[in-house]
Amino acid sequence: MSLRVFVPGDMAAVAVGADRVATALATAARAAGIDLEVVRNGSRGLFTLETLVEVDTPQGRIGYGPVDAADVPGLVAAGLFEGGPHPLRLGDVAALPFFARQTRLTFARAGLTDPLSLPDYRTHGGLKGLEAALALTPAEVVARVKASGLRGRGGAGFPTGIKWETVLAAAGPHKYIVCNADEGDSGTFADRLLMEADPFLLVEGMAIAAHAVGADQGYVYIRSEYPFAIAQMQAAIDLARADGWLGRGFDMEVRVGAGAYVCGEETALLESLEGRRGQVRAKPPLPAHRGLFGRPTVINNVLSLAAVPFILAEGADAYQDYGFGRSRGTMPIQLAGDVVNGGVFEAPFGLTLGELVDDIAGGCASGRPVRAVQVGGPLGAYFPRRLFDTPFDYEAFTARGGLIGHGGVVVFNDTVDLAQQARFAMEFCAAESCGKCTPCRIGSTRGVEVIDRIVAGEARAANIAVLEDLCDTMKLGSLCALGGFTPYPVMSALDHFLEDFGGADVRRAAE
Amino acid sequence: MSAVHATSVVPMANQIATFFVSQGDHAAAVAGTADHIKAFWAPVMRRELLALVDAGMADGLSDVAREAILRLR
Amino acid sequence: MSFIQETDYGTPAVLADKTVTLTIDGVQVSVPEGTSVMRAAKELGTTIPKLCATDSVAAFGSCRLCLVEIEGRAGTPASCTTPVAEGMVVATQTPKLAKLRKGVMELYISDHPLDCLTCAANGDCELQDMAGAVGLREVRYGYEGANHLTAEKDASNPYFTYDASKCIVCSRCVRACEEVQGTFALTISGRGFESRVSPGQSEAFMTSECVSCGACVQACPTATLTETRVIEIGQPEHSAITTCAYCGVGCTFKAEMRGEELVRMVPWKDGKANRGHSCVKGRFAWGYATHRERVTEPMIRSSIDEPWKVVSWDEAIAHTASEFRRIQARYGRDSIGGITSSRCTNEETYLVQKLVRAAFGNHNVDTCARVCHSPTGYGLKTTFGTSAGTQDFDSVAHTDVMVVIGANPTDAHPVFASRMKKRLREGARLIVIDPRRIDLVRSTHVEADHHLALRPGTNVAVLTAMAHVIVTEGLVDETYVRERCDLQAYAHWAEFVALPQHSPEATEAVTGVPAAELRAAARLYATGGNGAIYYGLGVTEHSQGSTTVMAIANLAMATGNIGRPGVGVNPLRGQNNVQGACDMGSFPHEFSGYRHVSEDETRHLFEQAWGVALGAEPGLRIPNMLDEAVAGAFKGIYIQGEDILQSDPNTKHVAAGLAAMECVVVQDLFLNETANYAHVFLPGSTFLEKVGTFTNAERRIQRVRRVMRPRNGYADWEITQRLSNALGYPMDYAHPSQIMDEIARLTPTFAGVSFDKLDALGSIQWPCNDAAPEGTPVMHIDHFVRGKGQFILTEYVPTEEKVGPRYPLLLTTGRILSQYNVGAQTRRTENSRWHEEDVLEIHPHDAEERGVRDGEWVRLKSRSGETALRAKTTDRVAPGVVYTTFHHPLTQANVITTDYSDWATNCPEYKVTAVQVSRGNGPVEWQVEYSAQARKSRRIEAAE
Repeated sequence: MSLRVFVPGDMAAVAVGADRVATALATAARAAGIDLEVVRNGSRGLFTLETLVEVDTPQGRIGYGPVDAADVPGLVAAGLFEGGPHPLRLGDVAALPFFARQTRLTFARAGLTDPLSLPDYRTHGGLKGLEAALALTPAEVVARVKASGLRGRGGAGFPTGIKWETVLAAAGPHKYIVCNADEGDSGTFADRLLMEADPFLLVEGMAIAAHAVGADQGYVYIRSEYPFAIAQMQAAIDLARADGWLGRGFDMEVRVGAGAYVCGEETALLESLEGRRGQVRAKPPLPAHRGLFGRPTVINNVLSLAAVPFILAEGADAYQDYGFGRSRGTMPIQLAGDVVNGGVFEAPFGLTLGELVDDIAGGCASGRPVRAVQVGGPLGAYFPRRLFDTPFDYEAFTARGGLIGHGGVVVFNDTVDLAQQARFAMEFCAAESCGKCTPCRIGSTRGVEVIDRIVAGEARAANIAVLEDLCDTMKLGSLCALGGFTPYPVMSALDHFLEDFGGADVRRAAE
Repeated sequence: MSAVHATSVVPMANQIATFFVSQGDHAAAVAGTADHIKAFWAPVMRRELLALVDAGMADGLSDVAREAILRLR
Repeated sequence: MSFIQETDYGTPAVLADKTVTLTIDGVQVSVPEGTSVMRAAKELGTTIPKLCATDSVAAFGSCRLCLVEIEGRAGTPASCTTPVAEGMVVATQTPKLAKLRKGVMELYISDHPLDCLTCAANGDCELQDMAGAVGLREVRYGYEGANHLTAEKDASNPYFTYDASKCIVCSRCVRACEEVQGTFALTISGRGFESRVSPGQSEAFMTSECVSCGACVQACPTATLTETRVIEIGQPEHSAITTCAYCGVGCTFKAEMRGEELVRMVPWKDGKANRGHSCVKGRFAWGYATHRERVTEPMIRSSIDEPWKVVSWDEAIAHTASEFRRIQARYGRDSIGGITSSRCTNEETYLVQKLVRAAFGNHNVDTCARVCHSPTGYGLKTTFGTSAGTQDFDSVAHTDVMVVIGANPTDAHPVFASRMKKRLREGARLIVIDPRRIDLVRSTHVEADHHLALRPGTNVAVLTAMAHVIVTEGLVDETYVRERCDLQAYAHWAEFVALPQHSPEATEAVTGVPAAELRAAARLYATGGNGAIYYGLGVTEHSQGSTTVMAIANLAMATGNIGRPGVGVNPLRGQNNVQGACDMGSFPHEFSGYRHVSEDETRHLFEQAWGVALGAEPGLRIPNMLDEAVAGAFKGIYIQGEDILQSDPNTKHVAAGLAAMECVVVQDLFLNETANYAHVFLPGSTFLEKVGTFTNAERRIQRVRRVMRPRNGYADWEITQRLSNALGYPMDYAHPSQIMDEIARLTPTFAGVSFDKLDALGSIQWPCNDAAPEGTPVMHIDHFVRGKGQFILTEYVPTEEKVGPRYPLLLTTGRILSQYNVGAQTRRTENSRWHEEDVLEIHPHDAEERGVRDGEWVRLKSRSGETALRAKTTDRVAPGVVYTTFHHPLTQANVITTDYSDWATNCPEYKVTAVQVSRGNGPVEWQVEYSAQARKSRRIEAAE
């Protein structure tokens, strides 16, 4: 019986040297005559611990981290393979506060298993959801997903069950399941981690969706910047097909994006999948009625589809019991920016922003005070400390002029210039605009110019009024969320951090 | 009676006859050919073909076409 | 005279059974379910501001000007993309919307040149209109920001200019290219603020895949895509609706004028043939009307070796009349004849045949349909009872399986081809039967399910084999056949086609079509839903042309594909009025309405009306006239608007016939090739200069309206009338409407047609009479015109024209998009920039064997003659087959073609000529001589 050690093989871990650590461990084991099996699991989600090495010992999995390849000889000498003591020894990783405080329904297996081992997947509860689904009629599956209260995790928060119900009711013959894995928001990485650490879960979720609506083909649209996820999903699909639970009535394949942020917008994604220019479509028709190639299509985010197997396996109530208000279940929140604990933190809705930033993320890694937090990606609002009592919940954030989006939380310290951040929002929109609708195509470029004028002190009050009008035009007039939400970071910066736009005279002008 | 006509009215009549031969028995073929020629040929062309037949200069003319044009005399 | 404005409803009309009622700005309106809020508002007369929406393309939702507020709905949805709903309450004007729209317009104008006063679209610019509509008063962004004001113009296309600085990226052009034209030549390049319209991958319009149909120019709301004419001379001030004079599609255009100067031709949305679309010919290639080579004064000469002498109209007419009378006196009444023109109006054509029958006193009248669709007339009359196509063009929208045989619609009938492609993109299936890989076989978003690339000349074998499959595999629509067809004839036919020698396997060696492919195609046609057959001259111009037409009719009857929308047998007619010319009695054996001269009742009707005695036997057809001329019995001819020297087969024989005549009268716009052999030249008028009607391929009679005075002084019908009077047969029509009234009086299928009714209805498809007062879009609905549908046996008879060691290749001929027929008009326009000369398409394998390289001169030789042209190596043609066009007199492709012809109608066998191709080094001797002779013949004596 060989000795198993776990060295994450996901992109984040590899970026900090996981491959070198794995090689060093193998070399050391050979030298010591130990029959070592290095399992390339996915990261458990707390990136400050990477490379996190875990050793299977009789007393359980013992973690060491963060490990550098250079640390390996010392660790081996200290008895790493037996779980021996060392300054980097973390003990049972699951017991660390960052993990102990989580409720991992979606990320339950992430970091624990060999991502491409079907036996591992089964042992850890995999495929129970699909089995349960196949025992139900499509309408029953849809009813369960509806009852769970699951809402779209891509950002819009639309009830997943209702979307499925529409597609179920639409006429065939062909229907599609499309997974939106074009995770382009700044400060988000949960989709990537899920696909790299537990790819079968997404395959299972899509297979359940296919059964629920009567779809025969699925596509996972992954951004090209995620080569590991692409390879991992491809491998998982091939294995699932070989294992027989994919490819009978429903099959799927991976499609790779080409670097456009707007292709994360569902209709632009469909255009791109069809081989066209990634340009937003007007709705109606809804994708549920006329989506991919004009056929009824379920298009869901990775996290929405990955939440489904739990709901089917454990029941709608088990999921619905978690949460806050109309936001049910858990959300894999991604903590990034100037934070001590950067990573994925899955928790039921309802934690306050303050708890997340100060407590769980541990404040700024730089040691400076937190000044602003942008929640929900590049189109999310900047929240000042005085709004830190906002609970993490779709409605609560909307009520305060923000959005939770895909669950990205980016923390800024007191050196941030919010006028520059507002300008960046417009610049980002200008760079990523598909160019279809006028408010976004021209408005974003004008937005940059107007902010520059404000910062330069040109007719500040008048130009602030122009900027506000522009934000109104973009918010109400844009075709999709890119142009429609760009005003959130801009207006929140203006509302909460007016001083960054030119000091005292601005305040006077605004009063 | 120029050579032009021998090379045009004879093959034209033959072509018509070939079609009607494919449609039914000999009698019907002759009738069909004669009707077609009567309906679509100017009288001068019929006269020319008859003259060729009379002069023994219509060697290439098929039996059906010959019968048909003689019927139109 | 006023300028006609079309209403733009913003989004296309929707057909639905259910009606939805909603309230817009407090007023109730009921519209078909699925209609957009924008269109519903327009139905009420309420205009919602818009820029990216136009009713020729699907809603896009990009400009964000048409936003509205809807009770109970969040946000401000776009009215163009929002369908109406029962009980919906819409507000189109609110303070919130006003602010929003102003905000959007402010953004637009912040990146637009402020040169309205000097802009070509000044007065015809939707951006300008919208700025006014939303009350834009200032642009607070200034004009110093990022912009496109220095973007370069693309003036590569001779007819329109692309000025990117004025582009508002509404994508109307891109969508029109895709949805209306179906070429997909345009796209938006770049992203966000950098977005700009681009032909292909940032190519110039001229070198891109653009076919210059003008749909993009038509769709553009600003001056971004503008007709070069408008840039040069300005906006039109009045307009008239008229009908295009090119192909048999019969597009309706709005001729936009400044005084008597034509500014542009704009396709008319209510035109039922074209539905607002156009092609490069009708839209742009009308400059020939004022070309310097146009002859506007009559000319005569006593011998074709002499130069022309300009004379007065009186003298020309008197001379012609006296010559004709002299010839008749000397050689007999039957020694002269006339040729009507498929390019002229129904009224003019009718008058020419009346001139021949009543004034010449014989039936020696024919028309160019002789050389194109005469087999259609014979074949469809025999099987169905009417010499015309069965459908309207709209029918294609209901077709599930299209069969295209011997036609190349994207080149020859481009506007209808666009409608076909639209239906194909919607999922209809396609079978192409053609020796050549025409564009429809595979082009953007269109791919034929089956391409049966048969050997030229084997149509009958292929169609009979298809019938074999349908009969032997039990795919016949027996109910239909039992109810609608002659059962005895059917049984006879079914037995015939089921014979083993007609199986695809047995005929494969002859046709070259793989049996399995043919079987699959036959099954698809028989079982794929509504099956419609569209065919062209690749069917008719064969020694078995009429048999092929009947084979097509058999297939349609056997599968129940006649008598409702979506199906039918549809000849794609070549010339604008070739259907009309046939309808008007241009054939020597029949009066208008296809009634044989031997029918006593009909003949008496005409005798009474015309006050003359009429013969009961047919006159001479064109080839017979030429034969008789060579034989010395036919001496004079009046040819209106046709160039038989270039268009008819075996040029040398045509030339010999013409040269043998004593008085050849050519009435045309230009000194055409036939005029080289003419003694009298009567200058003709263009379609822009006259009043009348054309009848298109769907039997649709449409008005031609005069927008300028005839440069030659007279409309063509007036010239014919003068000639008739000079010949002593009086005609005194004051207006073409009186001619149409006479046609209606004498022709049962036209009984209900009048100019007034045409003006009221827009167009009428004959039959139009008491039984069908508004015309007949689809024929043979309850029963065939002849009663029971007639099946005809179609035995394959190989053509006499066979390949052999001397002539091992088969030549077939056709057309190209930018040129029209013999090119008399299109060669005198900028269209020649796309096609300067005829080229010979040859398979690389055949070229290699002969040492011929792409672009080099080759000699093309048949037993009829020889010419030289440049080679183009391509696998569009199969090995053993070569192809060329006949647009240029220098090439004279018809020097090569033979005098074999259709057994029933003498329609020439243009599509099969055995030839040899060898390396050449320039024009052959014949071409050089011909050019010299033509130059000599065109001399005009200097005025004294």
